[in-house]
Amino acid sequence: MERAVKKKKQGFLWEMQHNGALYIMCVPALILLLMFSYLPMGGMYMAFTKYNVVDGIFGSPFVGFQNFTFFFSGNPYAWNVIANTLILNFWGIIFGTILPVSLAIFMNEIRNGPFKKISQSAMFFPYFLSWVVVGAILYGFLTSNFRVDRKTGELILTGANGVANRLLVFLGQSPIRWYAEPKYWKAIIIFINVWKWAGYNSIIYMAAMTGFDGSLYEAATIDGASRFQQITHLTIPMLKPNVVILTLMSIGRIFFGDTGMIWGVVGQNSTVLDAVNVIDTYVYSSMRTMGFGFSTAIGLCQSIMGLIMICLANSVAKKINDGEGLF
Amino acid sequence: MSQRKKGAFSSEGGIRQSSRDRWVVVLSYIFVGVFALMCLYPLLLTLTVSFTSESLIARDGYRLIPEAFTADTYTYIFAHSGVRILRSYGVTLLVTVVGTLMSMLVTCLISYAISLKEMRYRNVIAFICNFTSIFSAGLVPWYVVCVNWYHLANSIWALILPAMFSVWNMFLMRTYFRSISPSLYDAAKIDGAGHWKIFFSIALPLSKTAILTVGMMYLLSYWNNWWNALMFISDRDLYPLQYYLYSIVSNVNAISSGRIPAGAAATIRLPSETVKMAVTIITIGPIIFLYPFIQRYFVRGIMTGAVKE
Repeated sequence: MERAVKKKKQGFLWEMQHNGALYIMCVPALILLLMFSYLPMGGMYMAFTKYNVVDGIFGSPFVGFQNFTFFFSGNPYAWNVIANTLILNFWGIIFGTILPVSLAIFMNEIRNGPFKKISQSAMFFPYFLSWVVVGAILYGFLTSNFRVDRKTGELILTGANGVANRLLVFLGQSPIRWYAEPKYWKAIIIFINVWKWAGYNSIIYMAAMTGFDGSLYEAATIDGASRFQQITHLTIPMLKPNVVILTLMSIGRIFFGDTGMIWGVVGQNSTVLDAVNVIDTYVYSSMRTMGFGFSTAIGLCQSIMGLIMICLANSVAKKINDGEGLF
Repeated sequence: MSQRKKGAFSSEGGIRQSSRDRWVVVLSYIFVGVFALMCLYPLLLTLTVSFTSESLIARDGYRLIPEAFTADTYTYIFAHSGVRILRSYGVTLLVTVVGTLMSMLVTCLISYAISLKEMRYRNVIAFICNFTSIFSAGLVPWYVVCVNWYHLANSIWALILPAMFSVWNMFLMRTYFRSISPSLYDAAKIDGAGHWKIFFSIALPLSKTAILTVGMMYLLSYWNNWWNALMFISDRDLYPLQYYLYSIVSNVNAISSGRIPAGAAATIRLPSETVKMAVTIITIGPIIFLYPFIQRYFVRGIMTGAVKE
């Protein structure tokens, strides 16, 4: 105890003399953070300027909050992209919790080793694919090449049709031009996002389940509880804290969309993009069309909202978790 | 682990219960099996379509088992744009190998340092790292700084530097370093070893699996990264593989939306259906072959990260 107090009194210089090497070890990483995270924060000043390349970040004319007011009042897109972001994330959180939790619980009931191993490998595989690859694979499902004859109303296939359309035709329905119909795309994006991450997230829940007390299940079995009762009365209540933490983390990021996902899957298809345009993709596209100052302003609003949400989520987590926050 | 064992015990023990519980087990097999198929089927479809002839695809559409298999698409691709694809492969390989090595060095150094209790300002440094994951400047300032100050446009470094340090991987690595017993370090210290010597001759050799785990995470993120190419690269010679695929597929999507006038669409030569699928297979090829070997490292990494929370 006494030694610890003594150490506390030794100053900055002492620390540098004795542990200087450790701080030097941190330097490369800190330089990278400075370059790609902290210096750009200074660039947020652009949100208050009418940025042009010649004058640079700090030379461009200052315009105050003009960019912000323009986004929120003079722009029909603003509420559209905010709503899209919230809707996609909301359903993503709901289904992105239910599916992996169910998968983890059901996996736990399966005793056949090879089946378990193979199906887990299959479920985990989408995590290894980039969104571009997922987009290309999705294309194989949704591509449509047909036309309807004006006179007879007959359906004429003009080329390759994806699995979805072949299924529709097989069921006696008329095929759909998926890439020209925005109304389906929110559902498609939510589905593909949940699909890609389900295997990954189920591993997190399975990791939590390995820590459960086996004697509880033993006691339940002796008391005559069925497997189903064990799931509803033991497994699910014990998984609850993990579900809550992961959900809070997602809620903390509810104002952020996955640009890689949207661009990788939808590409440059502007017809469909309107339905799934999130704040991030809007920032990217308005960078070219509306100028850097304007798009920085949107990004700044998003970052501040994100910070508020994360702090809220963190304080909720602390309350539930006995002082243990998210970070 | 223990729970799984108990589960096995319970199902062996209660024979009378097994008939009552059977529906749960059956449902489990169906649910997991169906979802596993949903994950596997698209991949198999992509694979077989890439080995189908274009005319069959146009006639029958996408189907898992075509009437005949042919490698025509691959010979066509390598005859027509083989140089381009090989070049993109080269870019991706270079970026992945160099990037992963540099990332690992940077990550191991800082996570070793802040894993030590004797480092007084470790929490300050951890906070500096953590803050970047809860607040970011946003896309545009990041882009402007990268292009105007670091001149990363059309540079191979644009594909490496911005992705070089991941805070998440750093915390993961720190968890591993913390599990090394401090008495090993103390023994070395008594022998007069400094921090550098301890790092290279004790901490690193003891963390081989951790290094592989975190290294794989970086490897995958470099291999799959096309976003930085979209932001910074316009020179076709520097296209990584993923971005090459993106440039093919996103054009096709735009044209099939019907918003581009028919005249313009006619002048843009569409890559055929099978070509797209073949390029997809070429892009994920190495991952498919490595998947059985690397999968467990990712599972371990995710589990370690999850337990930390």
